[in-house]
Amino acid sequence: MVGELTELKTTGLKTDEMIINMGPQHPATHGVLRLILTLDGEFVKHTEPVLGHLHRAQEWQGQNRTWFQYQALIDRVDYLSGMFTSWAMARAAEQIDGTVVPERAEWLRVTVAEMNRITSHLLWLGTYLIDLGAMFGFPFYPFREREKLLDLFEEIAGQRMMFNYIRIGGVMRAPKDEWYKKLEHFVHNFPARIDEYEAIVTENPIFLRRTKKIGLLTQAVAREYGMSGPCVRASGLDYDLRKTKPYSVYPKLDFKMLSMNHESKVGDTWDRYICRIKEMRESTKIIKQCLDMMPKEGELTGKKQNAGLRIKAGEGFAAVESPRGVLGCYIISNGSDRPVRFRWRNPSFCNLSAVSELLTGHPIADIMAIFGSIDVILPDVDR
Amino acid sequence: MPAEHGAPAAKEPEAPLPIGTFGQFLKEHGIETKRLPDSVGVETIELAKSSDLDGAMRLLKSSSEIALDFLITITGVDSQDTFDSVYHLWSYTNANELVIKVLLPKAEVKSGQLPTVASLSRFWPAANWHEREEYDLVGIRYIGHPYLRRILNPWDWDGHPLRRDYRQPIDALNNKAPGSFR
Repeated sequence: MVGELTELKTTGLKTDEMIINMGPQHPATHGVLRLILTLDGEFVKHTEPVLGHLHRAQEWQGQNRTWFQYQALIDRVDYLSGMFTSWAMARAAEQIDGTVVPERAEWLRVTVAEMNRITSHLLWLGTYLIDLGAMFGFPFYPFREREKLLDLFEEIAGQRMMFNYIRIGGVMRAPKDEWYKKLEHFVHNFPARIDEYEAIVTENPIFLRRTKKIGLLTQAVAREYGMSGPCVRASGLDYDLRKTKPYSVYPKLDFKMLSMNHESKVGDTWDRYICRIKEMRESTKIIKQCLDMMPKEGELTGKKQNAGLRIKAGEGFAAVESPRGVLGCYIISNGSDRPVRFRWRNPSFCNLSAVSELLTGHPIADIMAIFGSIDVILPDVDR
Repeated sequence: MPAEHGAPAAKEPEAPLPIGTFGQFLKEHGIETKRLPDSVGVETIELAKSSDLDGAMRLLKSSSEIALDFLITITGVDSQDTFDSVYHLWSYTNANELVIKVLLPKAEVKSGQLPTVASLSRFWPAANWHEREEYDLVGIRYIGHPYLRRILNPWDWDGHPLRRDYRQPIDALNNKAPGSFR
């Protein structure tokens, strides 16, 4: 695409600078984002994202609600990976408070979090293919598997997306025996499903042409902008919190950190796609191990869950590796029933800040291919 | 009868905390810091002079052995007597972690003006949006920022929502206390 257009440009086609609004109601922005594009003919010269259309004042709500009330709200920070937002908050609060989380709860947390990572990547896969114009029914393939996982979430948490399952001190309730069987059945079949997606997409000539060699993210840019998650791992940066700063029971599990392109130190859109596909396979492996190693009896929470829940005075930052990168939260507590300051560190927010670097120099047709590949989720950006 | 105790000894001022790895590193380069109690095991320091911020950050970021090159987040806090600008630094290459605080006394802020601190965005693009956000929500002016505008709230929003004295527009109308539930 770039080649053909560059050719046209050099053959004397006159171009002019133009400012175009993309969004806020653009279907491919995964939420509500407005991009002010400065175009030179077909090419992007500058991008200015305008945020805040989905701003719900999560930080303000954090310091004006009690711990117990706010626990139920934080799944909305990133609604595709609610388990991770709850987990980040729970970890920060537990570290300040000195709560010991029962081992069984840690295993359950890892299991549901990895399930959530798969659902998040599956949704990304389906919508990304729509962004690229694949309207032939493929997007429903990943949604078929996602639906099964959402059913399992519904059984364990009572909700399909806003789980409120991981609580300060542990998890909410124990799954039934059938739940384990259903999950085992799912992880047994899922690798074959990923093969199915890969057969359709990975080597598809149209897909390759749309995604190869565009949206090049160098390691230098990734570091400068504080990016994290699959985006930087596709550029060969070894950064995965589960390995670099292990938490919970991850040290006991056998899985790989998926970073690619160590020599070139550059990742393109297709690399980011394949990185997520491989991550889903790793997550499946993790869930399998969890099912084998998890204790089926024991305490679920180390802190009493009631409306008067209090956290000791202190401050701390804790983060987890969410499907989009380092998701953390910084809490200052004074020992009362509500935090003094509640600050979110959202991977989408930081990853999106580099979007101007990625888009500059690309034709307008590639914008959605590149933007979609960063896997930004707008509620996570605007909070 | 138990021996009469004298008046309880006046409480001794707490001994200053021993200097940490990063505090020592900054001291060697002529930047004075004060160690604060660790935040969950992470070294926390306060800069003695807020004007040292730019230099300290450049040193910590570019030093090859410390390599605190991952700016996690910038947080503005409206504390009791100060506005704090809190920087969480991590590293892409090692396990180093550091929290730096710059305290801006409220007494020094002139009425009708915002507290100011140097911006990092000139040499660290990651700081750009974080600083805009803290300007928007807490009202700290980052001097030298290339584009310091509101990022999450609309451009014509009144006030800074995470301030202690902030009143929601509707509460101001009903004359309610800040933070009360409706």
